[in-house]
Amino acid sequence: MTGKERVARTLTHRQPDRVPIYDKFWFEAERDFRERLGVPLLERHTRFDCDTAPCAQPQTIWELFDMDMVEVAWPDFRLRFSPPEVIEETDEWLLQRDGNQAVLRWWKHKMGTPEHVAFGIDSPEKWAAVKHLMTASRERVRWDEFWPLYRRARAAGRYVCFATVEPIEMIKDVLGHEIMLRSMIKRPEWIHDIFNTYITVAIEMLELVEAEGMVCDGAFVYGDIAYNTGPFMSPRHYREFVQPYHRRLFDEFHQRGMPVLLHSDGDIRLLLDDLIDAGVDFINPLEAKAGMDVRELAPKYGNQLGYCGNIDARVLATNDLERIREELRSKLTAVMAGHNYIYHSDHSVPPSVTLETYQAVLAEVRQAGRYD
Amino acid sequence: MSVVEVLSQAVLTGDDEQMPDLISQALDEGLPARRILNEGLLAGMAEVGRRFRENEFFIPEVLVAAGAMKAGLQLLRPHLARQGVQAAATAVIGTVKGDLHDIGKNLVAMMLEGAGFEVVDLGVDVSAEQFVEACRTHPVDLVALSALLTTTMPEMIGVVRLIRQELKPSPRVIIGGSPVTQQFTDEIGADGYARDAATGAEVARQLCMG
Repeated sequence: MTGKERVARTLTHRQPDRVPIYDKFWFEAERDFRERLGVPLLERHTRFDCDTAPCAQPQTIWELFDMDMVEVAWPDFRLRFSPPEVIEETDEWLLQRDGNQAVLRWWKHKMGTPEHVAFGIDSPEKWAAVKHLMTASRERVRWDEFWPLYRRARAAGRYVCFATVEPIEMIKDVLGHEIMLRSMIKRPEWIHDIFNTYITVAIEMLELVEAEGMVCDGAFVYGDIAYNTGPFMSPRHYREFVQPYHRRLFDEFHQRGMPVLLHSDGDIRLLLDDLIDAGVDFINPLEAKAGMDVRELAPKYGNQLGYCGNIDARVLATNDLERIREELRSKLTAVMAGHNYIYHSDHSVPPSVTLETYQAVLAEVRQAGRYD
Repeated sequence: MSVVEVLSQAVLTGDDEQMPDLISQALDEGLPARRILNEGLLAGMAEVGRRFRENEFFIPEVLVAAGAMKAGLQLLRPHLARQGVQAAATAVIGTVKGDLHDIGKNLVAMMLEGAGFEVVDLGVDVSAEQFVEACRTHPVDLVALSALLTTTMPEMIGVVRLIRQELKPSPRVIIGGSPVTQQFTDEIGADGYARDAATGAEVARQLCMG
């Protein structure tokens, strides 16, 4: 069975030959694994592009580990594409104003969320002045990165996901979390206007990518809507402000026969019923440290939902193979019967996991995850 | 409903626009600034904290409530100073060295203010030495440490150690952030674990105000 067949069957809850394998890596983990494997990152992979530039490598880490899936497209939703303006720089970090007029402090030599120093768009008036910049365009996709990956994935029979972001993830880069969440109560019309604008462009970008010939099998939609103790917003606010736009986007994917995998960090349990209602088919990465556990969710949601993740990175980081096997087996046992599980760490593989450990993890999934 | 009850309700609903009128009304009625603070603004934030812990309130509600409380506090501050009312306790807060995350830390700072603390926010990427220095320049009762990454969480060990070593008596230390657990809190000898912003403020109150 090819990766594409394996993932396609799993996303529709039909029995594959084994549990599909997919994963994400912290920058330092990918760099170290690649060096050990003799396939170091190319020069082009700079710290400031680390979320996406791995896809520009002649062999992505997904291909190096022969995983079943890849992601392409990744439209860039910045308002302006001009290079960031450097405001201050030290040996350790860089303070810059980006294309969304946000001032962020980034580490220079390691991966991580930047400090949100200031957001230039903090009022409906300022938004009105830049709204016209948010339009669909070819410029929003790095074709030179994704065409080669797309073609290699097709040749190798891997499942290809259209990767994009949902409104919370888009708008937090423009307004920041605090302004965005406060405005749900204080300026609801403004938030609806922004969400509507961005989701319209997100759908137009899907159409544009498709029109270019990059036709994908499924959708991997990124949007952190929770943190470690619960959702950012109440289910009521989710239904009022986010769900209508989720539904619009997910409907577009479903009309094309593309299942939707939603990535959200944190504890999203309070929102799961509403997410299912919006059209989410699979969730990722199911952070164990935030209380997400497929062993509890699988019996509760049955075939309403599928799972991609939940293998506790803290356990992987012990490099204790017995503990890791126990973690894998107990979760695989709980979810395999539903034929709706894709192996993935519960966020990203950290650099404290050795290459030998990670190779053992994949071997274990390939063995213990067999259906025959 | 008394004016302090209306104030408390205005905090709860995040009604910052009503604050100037309500604070003026309360002062005009001759209420002491301390009572307006405690029974109006802080009582409202205490209820916000309770609702947050009970999953009745989420971050948007906390943000607007904190905004209303801050607006009221700003208006009340000169009266508090004139009447010799000081904050019940002072807290220094920051995200540890190597970590730039600030959203969780900011929420805890808001909730600490809402619990009656004077808050000195050192920002992000704060070294152990900077925490100690801040404790030397302010009358600090509490140090609140935040870390979002498993890779930066160990920095907390050094901060706690340096505080215990350099400051006698040492202020209380609470820690929080995504990877932090009660077990880790116990292991490094911190005084309290802030599971979330509201719990953090509650733990801080218990540690510093009894």
